Amino acid sequence: MPPLTRRGPGLDRRLLLKLAAAAAAVSTTRCSPPDDEIIPYVDMPEGMVAGEPMRFATTLSLSGYGRGFIAIAVDGRPIKIEGNPRHPYSLGATDVFAEAEILSLYDPGRSSVVHHGEQIATWEDFAAGWEQAVGARPDDAASDAAVGLVTGRVVSPTTLGRIEALRRRFPALRQYRYEPVNDDMARAGAKLAFGRLVAAAPRWDEADVVLTLDADPLGHGPEQLHIARGFAARRGAEHRQQLHAVEPAWTLTGAAADFRLPLAPRQMGEVARAVARRLGLDLGDPVLSDPQRAFAERAAEALATAQGRALAMAGDGQPPELHALCHWINGRLHAPVDYLPPVDPVEAGHADELQALAEDLRAGRVAALVIVDANPVYDAPDALRMAEAVAAAPFSAHLGLYPDETAQHCQWRLPLSHPLESWGDARAADGTASLVQPLIRRLYDTRTCDEFLALLALSAVRDAYGLTRETWASWAGGDFATWWRTALHDGVIADSRAAPLALSPARPTGLPPPDAPHALTVVLSPDPGVWDGRFAANPWLQECPHPLTKQVWGNAVRLAPGDAARAGIADEDTVDLVVNGATLSGPAVVTEAQADGVVAVGWGQGRFSPAMPIAHGVGTRFVGLGARPFSRLLAGAEIKKSDRSIPFRSTQSHTRLSGRSEALFQLATLAELATSRPEREPAPPSMLGIPPRGDYAWAMVIDTDACIGCNACVVACQAENNVPIVGPEEISQGRDMHWLRVDVYARPQGGAMRTGFQPVPCMHCELAPCEPVCPVEASVHDHEGLNVQVYNRCIGTRFCEANCPYKVRRFNWFAYADGQAYGDFAPALKAQHNPDVSARGRGVMEKCNYCLQRISRARRAAEKEDRQVAEGEMVTACQAACPTRAIHFGDLNSETSDVSRLRRAPRHYRLLEELNTRPRTTYLKRLYVSDAAS
Amino acid sequence: MSVAPDIERRWIAPSIESREQIDAIIAAPILAPRHTWRWWLTLAVSGGLTLLMIVTVTWLFGHGIGIFGNNTTIVWGFPIANYVWWLGIGHAGTLISALLLLTRQKWRASLNRFAETMTLFAASMAGLFPIFHLGRPYYLYWIIPYPNVQGLWPQWRSALVWDFWAVGTYITFSTLFWYVGLVPDLAMLRDRAARRGVRRLYGAFALGWRGSARHWEVYERFYRYMAALAVPLVVSVHSIVSLDFAASLEPGWADTIYPPYFVVGALYSGFAMVVVIAAVLRWACSFEAFITVQHFEAIGKVLLTASVIMGVSYATEWFWGWYGGERTERHLVTFLFTGPYAPLYYGQLLFNVLAPQLLWLPRFRQSILAVTVLSILINVGMWLERILIVWATLSRDYLPSAWRIFLPTFWDWALLAGSLGAFTFLFMIFARVLPALPAYELGKTWAEENGA
Repeated sequence: MPPLTRRGPGLDRRLLLKLAAAAAAVSTTRCSPPDDEIIPYVDMPEGMVAGEPMRFATTLSLSGYGRGFIAIAVDGRPIKIEGNPRHPYSLGATDVFAEAEILSLYDPGRSSVVHHGEQIATWEDFAAGWEQAVGARPDDAASDAAVGLVTGRVVSPTTLGRIEALRRRFPALRQYRYEPVNDDMARAGAKLAFGRLVAAAPRWDEADVVLTLDADPLGHGPEQLHIARGFAARRGAEHRQQLHAVEPAWTLTGAAADFRLPLAPRQMGEVARAVARRLGLDLGDPVLSDPQRAFAERAAEALATAQGRALAMAGDGQPPELHALCHWINGRLHAPVDYLPPVDPVEAGHADELQALAEDLRAGRVAALVIVDANPVYDAPDALRMAEAVAAAPFSAHLGLYPDETAQHCQWRLPLSHPLESWGDARAADGTASLVQPLIRRLYDTRTCDEFLALLALSAVRDAYGLTRETWASWAGGDFATWWRTALHDGVIADSRAAPLALSPARPTGLPPPDAPHALTVVLSPDPGVWDGRFAANPWLQECPHPLTKQVWGNAVRLAPGDAARAGIADEDTVDLVVNGATLSGPAVVTEAQADGVVAVGWGQGRFSPAMPIAHGVGTRFVGLGARPFSRLLAGAEIKKSDRSIPFRSTQSHTRLSGRSEALFQLATLAELATSRPEREPAPPSMLGIPPRGDYAWAMVIDTDACIGCNACVVACQAENNVPIVGPEEISQGRDMHWLRVDVYARPQGGAMRTGFQPVPCMHCELAPCEPVCPVEASVHDHEGLNVQVYNRCIGTRFCEANCPYKVRRFNWFAYADGQAYGDFAPALKAQHNPDVSARGRGVMEKCNYCLQRISRARRAAEKEDRQVAEGEMVTACQAACPTRAIHFGDLNSETSDVSRLRRAPRHYRLLEELNTRPRTTYLKRLYVSDAAS
Repeated sequence: MSVAPDIERRWIAPSIESREQIDAIIAAPILAPRHTWRWWLTLAVSGGLTLLMIVTVTWLFGHGIGIFGNNTTIVWGFPIANYVWWLGIGHAGTLISALLLLTRQKWRASLNRFAETMTLFAASMAGLFPIFHLGRPYYLYWIIPYPNVQGLWPQWRSALVWDFWAVGTYITFSTLFWYVGLVPDLAMLRDRAARRGVRRLYGAFALGWRGSARHWEVYERFYRYMAALAVPLVVSVHSIVSLDFAASLEPGWADTIYPPYFVVGALYSGFAMVVVIAAVLRWACSFEAFITVQHFEAIGKVLLTASVIMGVSYATEWFWGWYGGERTERHLVTFLFTGPYAPLYYGQLLFNVLAPQLLWLPRFRQSILAVTVLSILINVGMWLERILIVWATLSRDYLPSAWRIFLPTFWDWALLAGSLGAFTFLFMIFARVLPALPAYELGKTWAEENGA
């Protein structure tokens, strides 16, 4: 049968008759069997129980680097991502991106079919088109076609092998490798310091004193989980790490810091200069004001006195010379840093590569452009005019998860398989390799990256499973079958981490003086929700509040109060940001303790592909600013109040609180802690009867000192508990559905702003104010001390939420989960839903229930074995996700449980204790090394 | 208690020359209506608004209560405020009837019928709002104790359950009281009606009233007992309603002043509404002879008293907010005066406390226009008070991270306007089919005043 799409004008009589005959023939037989052999269960597979979750180790990548996770599937349907404790870049935790991948898998907006122009085509059509375009035939040895291959950072051994195979087939192949969130500056700095490319991997759990210069190690990124766990390990009261952060605008690192100095980015080197001088390297007198100098000298002193346990690091926006100087400082301090050979084999810089792509395309040096999981049209600055360049290529194909901006300008739009339906492999930032294994058959006729490259190379083996096994067969040697099973089971390939190199950094000869001061400098950083834009179509991440501004569905222009006042701009005004003649607008967020003259904006929003309805038109595309790609700093900006009006949508409008927050977000210094006494369990009288304790008394203790505000718990809760998306309009109405929110507090203390995070799930009060006010007994206490909500009984009076002092209850104003879902996500949500959790209908109240379904599962498991649920056996979704293990959960009936112990700790406090609600969720105070803050 | 005959003051204008004339004037709008364009216009506007209410409710049930402006923090909004406001208005009728009857205030005779009717319609409007406000209104009956297979009863500690009983009792009782008061007049209409069908209709509802001395003797006693029962009910209902707020943990709500404060507020808005309706009826049905300036002056004094009590109540709230020293309570008071709702709060204070002080001056008290305008302002002010009780506390309770502001939607306003329209519409129909003033009581008053 000829493909329908090729017919142009339409059916003629002959074809119609042919089709009718074919249809008649087909209808007399039966549905065609699937391509692969399917075998029904004669005996149930071992471990497979209908309705019981199965856990598979797999790998998800962020900016190319693999992180190993455990994916949970129920009856063959992946529903949740959890951390893999064996993988060094998960350590059992997850981040927002990993959690949200599960939704991307089912996203109805994904590319699902091959498109040639606007017509639907097949993979065979594409193969034919490709062979024609490059003049290659399957039996040919090599072709001289000028193939341009655009990829992100590729560190997967199989993919690298595929690219090599492709290069053998097309010796003229030019690979353009770029990653928007990249380490160009760090790599150049390493080259300066060591004469070669080296990746520095600090051992965070060994560092006593850390100085960050415009760096955000605790911020989102492929290494966040690894770093955060190391950081948390040194965060306790005993042997506490001192974190000195110098940064232009607030980051998660700055919020976690004991000492924080807001400083213009151009002056970062001056702090390093002061540190270097203390360590015996005179690079001139640092140009700093007195308080800044005092800060730098205190940091220098702390670093110098912690030889072997101190660490300095510079950020990706800082020049290579500063990175080199930090390497020297670390060398001098014998810092706990491993120097690893880079896993990314490409030498060239990311920005250079993207620039080269634009130039080569424009010069006609690329005959066949193939873009694999990259989006240069969106990523490149406007100055490169990438859309025109891509459109001008004689042959262009784009393989991607979404019909993104680049796909819109390519002749072929090809659908990429989601990692959860792919075979493959990846390496983490330290070289640790792990396998990607599918949990579900491909939802659409898609190809993985490796399969696609094999197709391009006209290879014999074209299935990802075969390709991946081929890669590792030689590596494993010996008993490959056992090796393969072990690697898949563990989710990490043993001994694959790169061996550290013994290197010593060169002594810097100088550090360029700071630039002349500019009126305003724009500082750009990836978005903590949608990253470099690749997650912009994921509504969980769009609706995940920015950790510091609490903004959702958009991005903001963060201004220092002085600059805002000078320009006459108030909070939430729309501001025009003018850089090199280009004007971009966004809502203003006036942020205290942001360095003067700094305008902070995020990448990743402002997607403009009309084929991506969720992402389209949300926020502003600040990545388009600047002359060079991925500039982290842009000098010479102007701001003015805009004529436009862009709404600022946030889930928390009040963050800057003086005085009022003292009882809510409690701080303590190490000195105060030493003198404070362990808290006695208070029992103020109450007229209400205290519910008797059952077999268990579940409780949660959240350590606000360990919390870095990464939001992993928020998205984990959303995935676990079928928490619906509400969409931007509902957020503007003040409605959100997150069962767990992370409140951010900023309050002046010791001459600086103290910023911290307080995750707020349901408090599960023993004397819950929500219970007596419900007229229909929908809000009740269970025998294990949980305050539970009976959805079926709720009639929606909302008295419970009105009477909840913590405002943790969420109401289904519309049928967000059933019938009135945001966008076209209804089917996706159905597929993703956790079958153990009921989806809530319109008009009922819902809230956190300590993952009741998990408690029930743990209890059932224990009852089967006639024992109590053991300590640590019951883990809530938020607790499992937390990279710093800030969330503790357990049984108060046991005196020795983690939560019982923490509730006796001197740092322990209850939120709104004066109301005598007796919450089961309690907190540990945020700690600071000393009262002095900056 | 014996009250000396009020010789000085006459509550019925001297233009009335006989009891027959009274009956004729009161029966005229029913038996011989002259529909002016004003009547039709009012009917059309109020009918249109009633239609709007029906559309809103249909839309509401179809789409969910998300069509209102409520949000995660301010989970209550217009429907609750409207409910409290309407129910407050519904208090004056029964109180005027019952309390003034017991205290033998003769001026009540001109007002009690339409005031009771107002009560009935206002309470009906009020009774609808808690249903409209529910997330799942079709399960309203779950707060009624009925035998069911789940063996589940309402949760009796909830003020909402108390509310249901309080309002239910009140509406039932008010209906009975109103009907009992109507019986002699229904008989009068039966006797005056020219058409047989009309006569039969009124006759059926008149329950065979013949006006014999025995009838009157039983009737007067029964009516007085009912009045005695009504007075505590009036006080209890709005006290219970106030517990929806007071029996909570929220700053600004959990106050012991709430029950008396709500009762006075209810009477205040109810009397104000009586003034508005009296002014309209007087003009529309030619009742000038029965509703005189003196009536307005008498109500003006009641309003003045209530306004002072309201002022004291507000001041009490401020004082305890400050004196209690609690962070959230203090902040709430500051928020009322300085927050985004401050203009509304100043409006509330101006309309409810300051403006009515004009009634100290006889010149204003004796002006029907002035008392009517002030009454309209009081009704607006009382609505503002209700909405601010809901908004302010929920907007600024314990955790600043949850603080939000309420932004009403079109549907919020539509339902409020619709309920006003439906109320007016019902009143128009009432004035057309039932005597808006009690003919027999006015007759009695006239007889006493004229020594007949």
